[in-house]
Amino acid sequence: MISVYLYAIDATLQIEKDVEARTHIAISDASAIQDSKIQNIILSDLKISGHFLVDKDIYYENFDTPIVTSALKNQEYVLKYKYSSSNGARLSIRLLKASNSKEVFKKSYSISNKMKAPFLIHKAIYDINGFLRYPDIDWINRYVIFSRYTTPKHSEIVIADYTFNYKKVVIRGGLNLFPKWASREQKSFYYTSFNGLYPTLYKLNIYTGAKSKIVSSEGMLVCSDVSQNGSKILATMAPNSQPDIYQIEINTKAKKRLTRFGGIDVGAKYVDNESSFVFVSNRLGYANIFKKSINSNSISQVVYHGKNNNSVDSYANKIVYSSRESSNSFGANSFNIYLSDLDSGRVRAITTTGNNQFPRFSNDGSVVQYIKRVNGTSYIGYSNLLTHKSLLFPLGVKKIQAIDW
Amino acid sequence: MIYKKIVSGMFVALIFAGCSQVAPEVPLNGGSNVGDSDALSSQTVTIDEDNINANGVNGGNGLNSVNNPYNSSSDGFNSLYFDFGAYSISSNMQSVLAHDIQRAKQTSAKIKIEGNCDEFGTDEYNYALGLKRAKAVKDAMVSEGINPSRIVIFSYGESNPVCNNMSDECYQRNRRVDLKLAR
Repeated sequence: MISVYLYAIDATLQIEKDVEARTHIAISDASAIQDSKIQNIILSDLKISGHFLVDKDIYYENFDTPIVTSALKNQEYVLKYKYSSSNGARLSIRLLKASNSKEVFKKSYSISNKMKAPFLIHKAIYDINGFLRYPDIDWINRYVIFSRYTTPKHSEIVIADYTFNYKKVVIRGGLNLFPKWASREQKSFYYTSFNGLYPTLYKLNIYTGAKSKIVSSEGMLVCSDVSQNGSKILATMAPNSQPDIYQIEINTKAKKRLTRFGGIDVGAKYVDNESSFVFVSNRLGYANIFKKSINSNSISQVVYHGKNNNSVDSYANKIVYSSRESSNSFGANSFNIYLSDLDSGRVRAITTTGNNQFPRFSNDGSVVQYIKRVNGTSYIGYSNLLTHKSLLFPLGVKKIQAIDW
Repeated sequence: MIYKKIVSGMFVALIFAGCSQVAPEVPLNGGSNVGDSDALSSQTVTIDEDNINANGVNGGNGLNSVNNPYNSSSDGFNSLYFDFGAYSISSNMQSVLAHDIQRAKQTSAKIKIEGNCDEFGTDEYNYALGLKRAKAVKDAMVSEGINPSRIVIFSYGESNPVCNNMSDECYQRNRRVDLKLAR
């Protein structure tokens, strides 16, 4: 029996015990037309990094002049910015030492498509964070890709920034589900088309529209993980009407069946430098998380709590998973996200209340993304594992089907 | 990979212990550091597949739905319903199954069996659960003499609900297998 340590820490309730290590900063908006949406994205970026204590008020000073507002002089830094969307999106920032108005960092950003303004802001905050030599937060620059149902048997696949202020439909119409980035560069993604007689896995380049068929399979077909170099994927397939885990070599299309269970095996993710994988299986009569080597038949249970653990993601030898903690067959169940170290078996709660599912690691493993549902409305949540900061952004009423980051 | 190990090491060190950060030293060397965002400027595509989809017409014709006003199968078949999380055919569905087997024997056409789920659980698991439901019906038909090559099974997971109310009755109606002739 493996000992399980449950650390009942809700990131949303975490006491900021190391606040003194964070930089006190205030925002000054010098734009000709102030935009609360832009202000909120800046605030969100600074907050979720966990590296800043941000003044809750937005100030309005001239961009080029020294600091005059006395409240600003109590900060360590003041971020002055000018944003314009009259001809594309343009953002200029100045970082000033609050005590003496000395400019320590200055940069301008522009992009022709003003809808992409959130990415300009993320890049600016990323640069400031890097300039101040805090741990990297590159994940704020990345695309999120997700599918959502529109009407029965219809869906759309959408790319977004991490705050969902930028959203663009990539595939509209039909039933196209389970998008998964094909590489760290996020130029292409895999998805399953359910528009023919058999589910078919495609790879689509988001910049050129080039689409290639990977494989099709009767019953179901889902790409659940992609290797670091993009050469192989883990997929759930059911060529004989039986959902099992397969590994597919992308270049040769060679398939290797990795599980042979008569029930349900889904959602495989690489661990142990891609020599093993974790997956969801009902082999104990309910959905739970198991681990198996690629090249051997031994299977081990890795989660020992919860009534239904039906989603998992991995980063190195860490996993995050959703766990149903109430036993209602219907209606309001409590699903929470847990983080576990496969080596030590230690477990830490990322959320402790509500309906939280679809946990996904950031590309550097430092942040967990998840979907929280409250009274029929979905939110996308982020929990920074290093700084214990959490944020939620509203998603609206359309239900997220699958998500990748 | 080295990068991954380094980050992983940092992750291990910090994740289960309190984070004690040190405020970084800041160089006061300012300067005009103008740049743009070339990497962000590339335009992404939008593909509309509404005209590509030629499959999956929903809704039954009600020919054999006398005992079930909610039948969502078509071509003379009746839908089968399942318990929460289950993929075995319950005893009270045996008469429906018998009807569908008889209907299958009346035609030589291919039959599409679609598994569906309620909204609970994550979608990949639900697609597998829907598939297992469809397979249970296929296996029962094959055992009664229907040629397996005539049967195509498909899972819609939770993507094809017949109702969206937050009620037990609605959830029950969504945990179902629909049958139709494959076209």
